[in-house]
Amino acid sequence: MSESTKTREITVALAGAPNVGKSTIFNLLTGLSQHVGNWPGKTVEHKTGVFRQGELTMNIIDLPGTYSLTANSVEEQIARDYLVHENPDVVVAVLNAASLERNLYLVAELIELAPRLVIALNMLDVAEQQGMKIDSEALSRTLNIPVVPIVARANRGLRELVTQVEQECNTAAGLRNVKHIEYGSEITDVIDHVDRLLEDGITARYPKHWTAMKLLEGDEQINKLIKARMPAERWPALDSYLREHESAAVTIATLRYEWVERMMAVAQQKRRVGQVSLTEKIDRAATHPVLGIFMLIAILGAMYWLVFSIGVPVQQFLDVNLIERTRDFIYTLSYMPQWLQGFLADGVLSGAGTVLTFIPILFFFFAAWAFLEDTGYTSRAAFVTDRFMHALGLHGKSCLPLVLGFGCNVPAIFGTRIIDSPRARLLTILLTPLVPCTGRMAVIAIIAAAFFGSAAVLISIGMIILSLLILAIVGLILNRFVIRGKSSALIMELPLYHVPDLKLIGMVTWQNILAFIKRAGTVILAVSILVWLLSVIPNGNINNSILSDIGRWLEPLGRLMGLNWQMMVALLSSFVAKENTIATLGVMLSGSSGDFTQQLKAILTPAAAVAFLVVQVLFIPCVATIAAIRQETGGWKWPALVLVFQMVLAFAVAIPVYQVLRLFPGLFFSFCTVLPS
Amino acid sequence: MESERIEEYLEAIYKRQGRETPVSTSSLAADLRVSQPAVTDMLRTLENKGLIDYKSRRGAALTSTGEKMALAVIRRHRLWERFLTDVLGMKWDKVHAEACRLEHATSPDMEKGLSGILSGIDTCPHGHSIPDEKGNIKPEKTTLLSEFRPPQKVRILAIRNEDPRVLRGIEKLGLRPGVVVSVLKKNRDGSLDIELQNEKITLDNATSSVLTAEPVPVISPPIDEAEIALGELPPGEFAVIKVCGGGRGSLGRCLSLGFTPGSIIKMVENYHRGPVLVRVHDTEVAIGRQLAEKISVVRKAAS
Repeated sequence: MSESTKTREITVALAGAPNVGKSTIFNLLTGLSQHVGNWPGKTVEHKTGVFRQGELTMNIIDLPGTYSLTANSVEEQIARDYLVHENPDVVVAVLNAASLERNLYLVAELIELAPRLVIALNMLDVAEQQGMKIDSEALSRTLNIPVVPIVARANRGLRELVTQVEQECNTAAGLRNVKHIEYGSEITDVIDHVDRLLEDGITARYPKHWTAMKLLEGDEQINKLIKARMPAERWPALDSYLREHESAAVTIATLRYEWVERMMAVAQQKRRVGQVSLTEKIDRAATHPVLGIFMLIAILGAMYWLVFSIGVPVQQFLDVNLIERTRDFIYTLSYMPQWLQGFLADGVLSGAGTVLTFIPILFFFFAAWAFLEDTGYTSRAAFVTDRFMHALGLHGKSCLPLVLGFGCNVPAIFGTRIIDSPRARLLTILLTPLVPCTGRMAVIAIIAAAFFGSAAVLISIGMIILSLLILAIVGLILNRFVIRGKSSALIMELPLYHVPDLKLIGMVTWQNILAFIKRAGTVILAVSILVWLLSVIPNGNINNSILSDIGRWLEPLGRLMGLNWQMMVALLSSFVAKENTIATLGVMLSGSSGDFTQQLKAILTPAAAVAFLVVQVLFIPCVATIAAIRQETGGWKWPALVLVFQMVLAFAVAIPVYQVLRLFPGLFFSFCTVLPS
Repeated sequence: MESERIEEYLEAIYKRQGRETPVSTSSLAADLRVSQPAVTDMLRTLENKGLIDYKSRRGAALTSTGEKMALAVIRRHRLWERFLTDVLGMKWDKVHAEACRLEHATSPDMEKGLSGILSGIDTCPHGHSIPDEKGNIKPEKTTLLSEFRPPQKVRILAIRNEDPRVLRGIEKLGLRPGVVVSVLKKNRDGSLDIELQNEKITLDNATSSVLTAEPVPVISPPIDEAEIALGELPPGEFAVIKVCGGGRGSLGRCLSLGFTPGSIIKMVENYHRGPVLVRVHDTEVAIGRQLAEKISVVRKAAS
């Protein structure tokens, strides 16, 4: 071997449908070397990593999961643009042996775009449990593509895969006589005709013949591209020809499935009939309209139980023992200038530090989310809730992120990535901040307890019902009048259930937490320092700081709800983190006499307290949520809209609530006192 | 003489390329019955003429000019074979050798005459496609009969061996392109039990690996020809998809998830007004009620 070939660097793209174990393979090969970001301008995860073995360096890119390469979704567009523009040395098609038929469809498309292809046939064990036997050698022979059987979950077959990829790199691109799929002469003539209507170079980067086929398949992105590039006078001829042959899309897909069937006839022994798989047994309950809902509630209940019995105590422990004690410690350091003590203790620690103590809670949510995704349950939940979500223009898949929002809005907003329709996804993101998170509920619980004693629970439940009601109304309005476009139909695969891959769940959770810490270190830190500055300038006393000036300026508005300027400041401070409301009130009221409850009662009437709860539960989301919305919608437009909208909404609901309660104080108090204490 | 040799080589490389790329000198030597050094010499010549890409120790691959030339020779060869069997009534085991000689001595006018007589015929007697005059060839299905898993009904497509003895043996069994047989059982020794016109025959592995075939779908007759919307199909029942509706966007999604006309679909769950759950191409797929109303199907007995 010559010197130059000793160290090799190759680029390998992993392609495959969702639920084929692609991420597991990616994790096994790249381990901690992976870098997770977004595709430029898109909110689809872009994952790259490096695998090194001896002199070989493999740059691995994990393409988004797709069923085909026709641009039905952003993922599909990204995957094929990557193949066309970046020319990876080898494409590894990861197939799920248990649903090989569906997966071979993608292979039929990949053959046309990938010069060197290696098939990783995953989940052979699952296929066997299903009573299917796949002959990977026969498949390889008939496709004339290397097929490597692997069981990614058990880390079997990966070494062989690497060897095969390396070998494949040695063959000149395009030399392998891969079995292209045979489109009958009838459709070939039609494709050729379109091909001739396209001038050379117009399809640049995309192969011309392939472009012709995609135009016939009704690919909107390619259609737009060609329309833009083609001389205007020549477009109508092409356009009318395409319209004439609209049925070609169906013919092409049918021919591809016929090709798939031929491959299957070679590769698969007939499935044993009459065998009811475990998946089918579970699904009898999980997808049942009544049992399924109960199952969903039970699973979510277990999830919250975990979060509240482990996550919340840990968070409180950290808050008290880490944040509080460090704050106290900082104030004991007498050699430190006072402004620095304040900056560190009240600016950095109370703001960003407190937000960080939520990591244990977030950990459980992210992990539970990844767990449900990986077992295959998420799509069942979407299936049983679809009928309810549809009314709001949402998707079945919107349900879980929204439910997750009760824990924390941040993971909920990231969770919306499972929704493939961009419109339904945006709607879900905009509605998520209306779901009362644990932070808000904590504030509500404390204030309600201070005011209403035994009625506190009812008041809290009332607040949840109120916000969900408003969520539904806002959803209906957004769907009907604000966000244009038709609500898209639900169509999704229900993957087989499988034992979750704990490593993968760990990796996903870790990456999400890391991203959260990064945000806490930047945006959230900046905002908490800003709020702190406003509270100490000019003379270090919050009661005559800029923040209090803003509160006083807002007092006329507050008075409509029975709130004084201090309550308004407390409300504003919830922007950093929802539970800051209590801390801020604590600081501002520390000068007056009595305990916290008495201090509160001194400045609030019961009616005003209810109004405060309403405004608090609907008020602008915390800065972490806003940062998440910005990241997921790719700009400031939607987060800005959410800020303005919820601000207006909160006051618009709280003011009438206060005014009505004030008019009928007797009614309200008799309600409170009737309850046994 | 040399041009004849060149054509022979190009033809041999073309045929080999279907199975190995690049084609090694040893396989060429075996196919052409010449020594390996002779092959190496000739490959050098071909490379100089720009007909192949050749790397010593790796092998040869046709360039586009080379491929065009190879296809032209193959066209003449297969036209002659057809002519000899169909017009002159020769046996199919004899025509290969004759065509090998004739293919090099065919003028363009003669070729035109041949294809005129044989218009409408696009395969040679052994089932291989005849390239058209522009050098386009219909790709051949290359799955071997031996690769099929029993039980499976298949149609014989082509015979991949020109050896007269093999051809005679196959003819005696009644196998020829276009015949439909049922693959019954694969035996331990690699032989294959098949059924041809109600008669059971056993093929040894050598024979079943020279025949290519394609599966013949077994379609059980529909019980009710009337088209209904997928949403009306009761749970547990099967249907064949007729038309896939929906707008451009959801149509593409449907197609890539396997909702193509002719696909068999099983309704798994169908409760009032909610989304439906179906099994298609071995996967469960949930689709919204609205979309399910736009897909029309014909009911079918369980298979």
